[in-house]
Amino acid sequence: MTSLSPRRRGGRWRPWLFALPALTVYVVFLVYPAVSSLWFSFTDWDGLSPAYNVVGLDNYARMLDDPVVLTAGKNNLIWSLVTIVFPVTIGLALALLLNGKVRAKPVLRLIFYAPGVLPLVSIASIWGWLYNPQYGAINSFLSLIGLGDLAQPWLGQDSTALWAVMVPAVWLRTGFPMLLYVAALQSIPAELYEAARVDGASRWRQFWHVTMPSLRSAHYIVLALSLIDSFKVFDMIYAMTYGGPGTATQVMGTWMYANVFQYYQAGYGTAIAVVITLIAIAVGIPYVRSQTRERAA
Amino acid sequence: MTGRSYTRRGFLALSSVAVTGLGISACTGASISGGGATAPASNTLRLFTYEDDTTIGSLKAQVKKFDEQNGTTTTVDSLPGSGAAQYPDKLRTELLGGSGPDIWRIWGGQIGAPFAKAKQAADLAPYYQKYGWDSSINTAAVQGMTFDGVKAGVPFTARALGAWYNKELLAKAGVTDVPTTYAELEEMNDKLVAAGITPCGLGGKYGWHIMRLFEYLLEHTAGPELHDRLLLGQDSWDRPEVIEAFTLFKKWQDKKWLPEGALGLDPADVGNWYVQGKVAYDIEGQWTETAAILAAEKDPKDFGVFQLPTDQSPARHSGFVEGYMINARSGNKDKAAALLDFLLTPESQKAMQIGSSTVKGAEPDAETTPLAAEWAEKYGDSPFYTIQDQAFPKKEADQYFSIQSDLLQGSMTPAAAAEKMQEIVAAWAGN
Repeated sequence: MTSLSPRRRGGRWRPWLFALPALTVYVVFLVYPAVSSLWFSFTDWDGLSPAYNVVGLDNYARMLDDPVVLTAGKNNLIWSLVTIVFPVTIGLALALLLNGKVRAKPVLRLIFYAPGVLPLVSIASIWGWLYNPQYGAINSFLSLIGLGDLAQPWLGQDSTALWAVMVPAVWLRTGFPMLLYVAALQSIPAELYEAARVDGASRWRQFWHVTMPSLRSAHYIVLALSLIDSFKVFDMIYAMTYGGPGTATQVMGTWMYANVFQYYQAGYGTAIAVVITLIAIAVGIPYVRSQTRERAA
Repeated sequence: MTGRSYTRRGFLALSSVAVTGLGISACTGASISGGGATAPASNTLRLFTYEDDTTIGSLKAQVKKFDEQNGTTTTVDSLPGSGAAQYPDKLRTELLGGSGPDIWRIWGGQIGAPFAKAKQAADLAPYYQKYGWDSSINTAAVQGMTFDGVKAGVPFTARALGAWYNKELLAKAGVTDVPTTYAELEEMNDKLVAAGITPCGLGGKYGWHIMRLFEYLLEHTAGPELHDRLLLGQDSWDRPEVIEAFTLFKKWQDKKWLPEGALGLDPADVGNWYVQGKVAYDIEGQWTETAAILAAEKDPKDFGVFQLPTDQSPARHSGFVEGYMINARSGNKDKAAALLDFLLTPESQKAMQIGSSTVKGAEPDAETTPLAAEWAEKYGDSPFYTIQDQAFPKKEADQYFSIQSDLLQGSMTPAAAAEKMQEIVAAWAGN
């Protein structure tokens, strides 16, 4: 049987025809809004009126003089660092624990993962009550055990508000890396540990020289997804502190939202959105490159 | 070009575009053309409001009554909970998305102004004339929904803020009479604290709730004329009266006349504390009788209300108007106006238990809402100053809330707060 040449089967355009429906949706719902948003970042559009003026790079220059942008950027960095390091470390520790001889493993996994599936607004409300300075469980507990001096208005002061929001964020985000690590740990061949034991390796050395190298691909996925998740923080801050007290817990996402949707400064807000996106791309490129390398290999 | 290099580069390029698209579109995702056309006429209406569970039922009952009489079908959607902090955002997003409601409830002043300025709200002048709203509705309230001379809204309620208190807690602290001077108010606070009771329940999350205390203190120190000029940016905030008000504001926290950690408390929680007996009083409007006292199935006789004493003449309280706007792009403007006219009848207003109706003949019912009726009788004719989150645009109001926060945390002095306020207001009023 003679095979048909690509040209006779429909030409080189044939693959594009199959991709056309998906590409159309993609262009209409993603590319077009993105490009139009990029355009608005060069305007003074208020977000409601039909008219606007083109102001060039003014919105971007204005960000340099906006003290809240500095606060928000700093908070984003702190947030990313804390909500990656702690959930990943605790998640790995729990995974190691659950991979051993522990009773009621499925129940424990469910308990540790459960916070991750709760609605964020519910979590924010629950923790808001726990943090209540007068009637909250946290301050009450501190008083009960004789540490009443440590009781604080956790969400009501600049010095503790961001950290107080990060605690539930760590709590709810620990389950996901735990599950990935559990799956990865179960795929490590038992022979490797047997060989290590025969060679006299301690448990500590087994962890560093067998377990950790075997988890390399899991580490990469966990870290990349955690980084992306951390950087787009919005909901927890919005629901728990609304960016306050004052602007103490503003992050780039909430500050962008405030400008676009509350201050009627859509031009400036979209400029912030563009900057967030560029940073996200810069952070995401190493991940994309690694994925393409793996596929190509 | 090899297949391998093409795949990697192509994937990288597509991924970059995808990330850009996802990121930016998730951030804004709207264009000016959204919702630009006038919707076709129909018998279907949609009303968007922020009523909570305690009042939405009576509104829906009146709307249903209108529908039955006029052959319309009206959907009532509500977003209660955060006051003016989030509702306008949702409304604005709906309008930009092209599926905005035919009618929406909104606050007056600077909260409603952007919708009028952007011509999202229809000019209701023809309907004022058709239905005679100018004569049936309180004139001062109509001014609160008039923007640059355009009657873009019709007010149905003029709210007044006073001190709503728990009689049992005041009695427990040995307070027999409500204060009539500012000094007596401070004396009452001291007695309450001595009895182990937190005097005033206000929460700082969102900023607007605790603001009610500062604006009262400013009325006390500055007096009516200066206060009004300050709100309009016609006088400098960097002055002794403002510094004194900020000093008193800090004093209220330092003397524990406010709840511990007030800045982080949610008004939705704190607003009920005087009913629950956790604080002695709260600065609220007449709605609290329905929304907090009656909703908790408490007897209004166990509570009271008084006008916060300013030691100024005339004695004023904080106030604001709320009303309805009609979507300029609605294809059902006439039917929407007819619905509003129905809701603005004294009968409907009474049925909805609007404790501070702007409609003549719809005064509060002493049987169902005795405290609101008492307020209307005692202070109904008192002048009021514009509540500050309606006096300033949202951005300036948030900057002002930030100053409140810094001051109460001790990171800003009263003098610095006054100076900073002047910077903010001057920048706004100068535009």
